[in-house]
Amino acid sequence: MSSITSPTTSSAQVGVSAALAWFADMMDHCYDFAEAAKTQGRPVVGILCEFTPREIILAAGAVPVCLCGGSAATIPAAEKTLPANLCPLIKSTFGYHVTGKNPFLKWADLVVAETTCDGKTKMFELMAATQPMHVLELPSKADDADAFAHWCGEVRKLKEHLEHRFGVTITDDKLRDAIRLMNRERGLRRDLANLMTQDLPPLTGRQLIEFKSIISGIEADLQQYETALKSFHDGDAAPGSPKANAGADPPIRALLTGVPLVHGAERVLELIEGSGAVVVAMENCTGLKPILEDVDANDPDPLRAIARKYYHLPCSVLTVNRRRLETLRELAAKFRPHCLIELVWQACLTYDIESCHVRRLAEEELRLPYLKITTDYSPADSARIRARVEALVEMVRARKAR
Amino acid sequence: MIAAGIDAGSRSIKAVLFDADTAQMLAATVTDQGVEQARLADEVFAQALRQAALPPARVGAVVATGYGRNNVRFADTTITEITCHARGVHQLVPEARTILEIGGQDSKAIFLEDGGNVRDFAMNDRCAAGTGRFLEVVAALLGVDLPTLGELSRHSHAPAAISSTCVVFAETEIIGLLAEGVLPADVAAGVQNAIALRVAALAGRHVAPPVCFTGGVALQAGMLRALEAALEQPVRVAPQPQFTGALGAAILAARRQASA
Repeated sequence: MSSITSPTTSSAQVGVSAALAWFADMMDHCYDFAEAAKTQGRPVVGILCEFTPREIILAAGAVPVCLCGGSAATIPAAEKTLPANLCPLIKSTFGYHVTGKNPFLKWADLVVAETTCDGKTKMFELMAATQPMHVLELPSKADDADAFAHWCGEVRKLKEHLEHRFGVTITDDKLRDAIRLMNRERGLRRDLANLMTQDLPPLTGRQLIEFKSIISGIEADLQQYETALKSFHDGDAAPGSPKANAGADPPIRALLTGVPLVHGAERVLELIEGSGAVVVAMENCTGLKPILEDVDANDPDPLRAIARKYYHLPCSVLTVNRRRLETLRELAAKFRPHCLIELVWQACLTYDIESCHVRRLAEEELRLPYLKITTDYSPADSARIRARVEALVEMVRARKAR
Repeated sequence: MIAAGIDAGSRSIKAVLFDADTAQMLAATVTDQGVEQARLADEVFAQALRQAALPPARVGAVVATGYGRNNVRFADTTITEITCHARGVHQLVPEARTILEIGGQDSKAIFLEDGGNVRDFAMNDRCAAGTGRFLEVVAALLGVDLPTLGELSRHSHAPAAISSTCVVFAETEIIGLLAEGVLPADVAAGVQNAIALRVAALAGRHVAPPVCFTGGVALQAGMLRALEAALEQPVRVAPQPQFTGALGAAILAARRQASA
């Protein structure tokens, strides 16, 4: 975080460009928002995974902030404690914790974590030594009959913990308000993502991933999503997008799956799109995965409705994670990719091993060329990744030419 | 029409001149890679022209490939080494269905369709353990040059088991082996086996025959034996294995020109 700046949207920019400019300053807006919230006495709650139900945090009157680390710079500090052979997302997040360089983490009155992968789970133990933390236990065998009841219990315990810690009562009405707010946010981001179904998408995958905020439910952000959508529907296109470059070779459409591209860790997306492809869909936690399903706002039991939506997240920590393959089938039909690219952070064992299923799905069922990229946050292998993506693009173009 | 292919690899730069009308290689030259990549590419191209006794104006199209492909100033376009090796090997060994290419810092498995198009490929990530770099490190440790290292391996009766999957750690491991009195010949053969096993793992379980071995490391005596043992199937070395990338680039340059 460099400095606190007020929103600086140039008056010359309109529509899509103005919205992109707004989200280019996303971190500053979030900083201002969280600082103001703290001043007003609203608690800040850090989250580290898409399994955390933001609705409950919002219903408690708190501000949910994503704390996942996307910077290579904090990793050396983390490696004084954590093993080097651990995923960069975990190391970067922990590095922010030990260096105190993430103001949102310093502001956090509570961090909500989950027992997802082993690396995160054990890192949370270390973080909890100096950071108030509540851990949700995620049932791994998602198909078991008693698993959902267990998860509902965990979600209920989170609600009770927040009530107790912040001295509030989370009513069903407050939950429903939060559900509507989050559904609105998810719906707007989904509408933006669906623009990529067009033959010539009006934005790149790299531009699409800019349309997000580490703090959910900020009204100004939601209005920017709406403004951008209106401009896109009026025919506007982001600069450098396939639609803006119509006349050039139509891009090779890639479906990206695997690990999240946390803010600051978008390098691989840039390499892919710098090599002649456009990423039309991202089946990951910073892309479509958490926004495909809404929470039923009319459910008589809103807490259970919230639990159900999050329970459906197709994360590789689950066994067996069939829903991820179903999601990929649906996304492939809808976004019509020419190839499937899987990103795995080094030492992310669950995604790394699960990639065997994804490769088989791509090659044997979807009949799409598949490329797996295993890397971390350092740019040392950028030239190699570029060569592999370029070769994939050459391969797809050769197939199309026949 | 005469076309040129420049393969700017991590350890050496190769140039090939190819006559598309007669399907003949007119020249093949190589020089060590260095800091001044652009100038070295100019030089190796000039050498190829001299070798074929051709003026530059006779070359109708140039494609650059390899790690330094964007530093070849006179190239019309760039194509990746995966596509280029596939094309070059297909020209020389049309029946090949799997290509294993081991270069200075890369290793690749390329799977071909009938007709020579790339069906799939795999490439090493951030690790040099399955590449020519491993041979260089061991040759330096043993105080020999690369051809001598290959010759040494032929005299091995009990190749050393080298477990490290990292060149840097393998160096420590090998120093330990030598201290224990393991013969240099057994170290040389052991390293070749380690590289071959890495590349076999990269290629995966479905290696369709015939398998063709190319890249600079294919010149090393003993590597073919190691690769055949690791893959448990016969392998044939591509003719002029160092030049298949540049040859493929030249053929693709000629095609681009013809279809332009």
